[in-house]
Amino acid sequence: MSGYGGVSADLAAVEGRKHMNMDKVMTVICFILLLIIVVIPIFMIIYNAFFYEGKLEIKLFTEQLTEPNNLAAMWNTLKIAVFTTIFGTIMGVFYAWLLGRSDIPAKGLMRALFNIPYMFPPFLGAMAWDMMFNGRSGYINKLLRELFHLKAMPININSVWGIVFVEVSYYFPFVFMQVVSALERMDPTLEESARIAGARQRQVIWKITLPLVKPAISAGALLILTTSLAHFGVPAILGYAKRIYTLPTRIYEVIYNSGGSFDGIRQGAAISVMLVVVVSLALILQNRILASGSYDIIKGKSMRPTLIKLRGAKIPLLLLAILTLVMIVIVPLVMIVLISFLKAYGLPLKLENFTFAQYQKVFAANGTMASIRNSLFLSISAGIICMFLGTLIAYVVQKIKPRGSGVLEVLSMLPYAIPGTVLSIGVILAWSGRIAGINLYNTIWIILVAYLARYLSFSMKTSSAALLQVHSSLEEAARVCGASHTESLADVTLPLIRPAMVSGFFLIFLPAMREVTTSILLYGPYTRTLGVQIYSLRDAGMIPQAAALATVAIGIIIILNTIVTKITKDKKGV
Amino acid sequence: MANVKFNDITFRYGSNTVLEHFSLDVENGKIVCLVGPSGCGKTTLVRALLGLIKPETGSISVGDRVLFDAARRINVPAEKRNIGIVFQDYAVWPHLTVLENVCYPLKKQRVPKDVIKPRAMRALEQVHMTEYANHLPNQLSGGQQQRVAIARALVVDSDVLVMDEPITNLDAKLREEMLLEIRMIQKRLNATILYITHDQQSALQLCDKMAIMQQDGTLCQYGSDEEIILKPANRFTFEFIGVSNFIPLVKDGDGLKLDCGEKIPYPGEVPPEAAGGGYELGVRPNDIVFDSDSPLKARVDSRVFLGSEYNYFLSIGQKQIRVQQSMLDARTKGVAKEGETVGVCLLNARFYPAQKGAETT
Repeated sequence: MSGYGGVSADLAAVEGRKHMNMDKVMTVICFILLLIIVVIPIFMIIYNAFFYEGKLEIKLFTEQLTEPNNLAAMWNTLKIAVFTTIFGTIMGVFYAWLLGRSDIPAKGLMRALFNIPYMFPPFLGAMAWDMMFNGRSGYINKLLRELFHLKAMPININSVWGIVFVEVSYYFPFVFMQVVSALERMDPTLEESARIAGARQRQVIWKITLPLVKPAISAGALLILTTSLAHFGVPAILGYAKRIYTLPTRIYEVIYNSGGSFDGIRQGAAISVMLVVVVSLALILQNRILASGSYDIIKGKSMRPTLIKLRGAKIPLLLLAILTLVMIVIVPLVMIVLISFLKAYGLPLKLENFTFAQYQKVFAANGTMASIRNSLFLSISAGIICMFLGTLIAYVVQKIKPRGSGVLEVLSMLPYAIPGTVLSIGVILAWSGRIAGINLYNTIWIILVAYLARYLSFSMKTSSAALLQVHSSLEEAARVCGASHTESLADVTLPLIRPAMVSGFFLIFLPAMREVTTSILLYGPYTRTLGVQIYSLRDAGMIPQAAALATVAIGIIIILNTIVTKITKDKKGV
Repeated sequence: MANVKFNDITFRYGSNTVLEHFSLDVENGKIVCLVGPSGCGKTTLVRALLGLIKPETGSISVGDRVLFDAARRINVPAEKRNIGIVFQDYAVWPHLTVLENVCYPLKKQRVPKDVIKPRAMRALEQVHMTEYANHLPNQLSGGQQQRVAIARALVVDSDVLVMDEPITNLDAKLREEMLLEIRMIQKRLNATILYITHDQQSALQLCDKMAIMQQDGTLCQYGSDEEIILKPANRFTFEFIGVSNFIPLVKDGDGLKLDCGEKIPYPGEVPPEAAGGGYELGVRPNDIVFDSDSPLKARVDSRVFLGSEYNYFLSIGQKQIRVQQSMLDARTKGVAKEGETVGVCLLNARFYPAQKGAETT
């Protein structure tokens, strides 16, 4: 504004302003993208659940709330989630202690194996268990019935308890991983002092060790609770046959039955509100508990914790651990592979009934390759976009800290609290022509938008943690050395958080590759994902084909996982 | 190299005023130590000089180049200021090798490619780090990383070199070495160095001039180290630089008495401007000498031999004071024993108005 600064001074002033602007531009981009990806879908759910043609209308919501089927689904959801959490936590803590604190052999191998259920898609596991213990046609059920001359099938996996069992076997690693790392980093002198003070081994475990890792236990347990509440795959596979619904599967059912009509979607939105309320309550509980119980038991220096000798119990406990692993990892895997070679589902598992025909059929079908392509496209693009967007938001929140950065952070984490099923409904409501005439329905883009919302928080979290490690003086040193703001970002900050960005990418890529919850509501004729394709093959009764494709999917996941571990191991330590 | 001029700088974080109308002139080719307690605004001043923050008022210039002027709306961006900086936490980029770290400023200044490496190696030579050129920073010790940071600041011909507490993280021996190193580099380059520290000892060792900053962000004295020590401008400087004893003085009848629990007549002279009201007498431990003729008596509480001097704690009445006796003095006059009562003289005593809330018993 002043004219007497001289030419060079004015140039300098202009440059000063330009730098301020870049921060502002980044902030504004973040807000706009979060508005599109997160705010609009969530707003659309709430709006459509309570408003009809611009008027407040509570009737739909109260109708859905009092509908007996929905109440039953709500009850089932709660029952399954609570029991899954209880059993999953007990199992997770037990094995975490066994592998973290006892002298059980083959620890490294077992730890790696115990992480497998975490990467194994639960709905494929559910398929395998259904093949074995289906109340009418389960293979092992039939075997047992013949062996013991029973009248009825001995085990029925198509029940609430069956669902709980399968969910526990895939979700206990949440607790296991949290607790095992807490146990390993715990200061061993805390336990040693208790022994010196006269406590017995058993008392130390109950009175010292467990209370000290309580924060890790509750963090893991609540992760199981929220995941189970929102989970679609297992209850969908196991529950439909006996008409056991949970809220997520009920939402799918309502929309599916209505043929995707607007009314059906509105009903779904109303049930979604119920589910969101339940999940939100769980999350509030989580915040309360995590805020109240944090001790500083973890020392930065790594000290070797004292291991407890199992003595006589060593071999039985080792056998138990191996048996668990065989049960939850190997048996389902073998079952799926075996079924995939069967000529027809229901034939006895004998060599003469085996064939490669199912694989030929699967690969001959147009849908298969398309679904693999779709899944690859979706997970790679969601991974890349989220990686950059999450990093951008993390940078704005951590380093620029504009007014409203808290809002930004909450917005980016919000979809994490919203079940995938609910998110899909929001995306359908938002992007099927109701806003600015944009209609993405039945295109791959609507799935991509949903994935972005769903996975954004993953990359945002990892990048945020990495940025916290990058002291601002590193960027400032570059500025002083003559780098512009953009150059300092490119030369210093980005290279330093690149490993975190890459791991953020894979954190999204891997689960997106096997995703079914969100895409099952969003797919169109040409946009089936791998998960959806397996699900619909099975739904259409082509179980051996579904098993064949599932085997292929598992193969892809294992290959990708191996590549990921290779890549992330090679990173220069920073 | 050039002089640095801060003029009337004001900076606030929200409602918290860090610097208010701060002015300082750092002379060309000198090492100026900016000394002050933690949180007095030293680093804020440096950040304003570097262009990382923008003060509300005032101007900053290096030589005849104006870097910042609030009134004329000049604010040269950080990358165009041409100032070398050694940050407190080194800020050596962990993903680049030592050599790459030192080459970076040259690359950004568009120095021709073929001279970049030789110049970087010369800078590394100056800090004795050539053999580590291809190491990554996490393979280096703290002191070595520090030297990389110094090399990186030296490699370009900056107008001025700023060092923000660069040696606080080093051990005592290395600290000593680095101070000598910095001094030699400065001599060789005839550089202007602004050295920031809260540690008066390293400041005394290094500086040509010292600027003392007070907790409230104002400059309370600027001068050579002798001036600062021998003629402290105020009580803060006296107390902050060096060790000091304070004894309350009270008016009692016509004369003045030391208030040490019991009132002891003060034998010395009080300058007229300090007379009237309560004040305190400040004296350095090495300005207290034993003199058996002195009417002022003290009891020896303890004595410690520190290698080059004796350190005593004496009690005058209830008041404990610290005394340092040089070896020469100890040789000629002998040492005092614990429990003994000795006569003492308070030389070079200074008088400051009594502080509110200061101990009076």
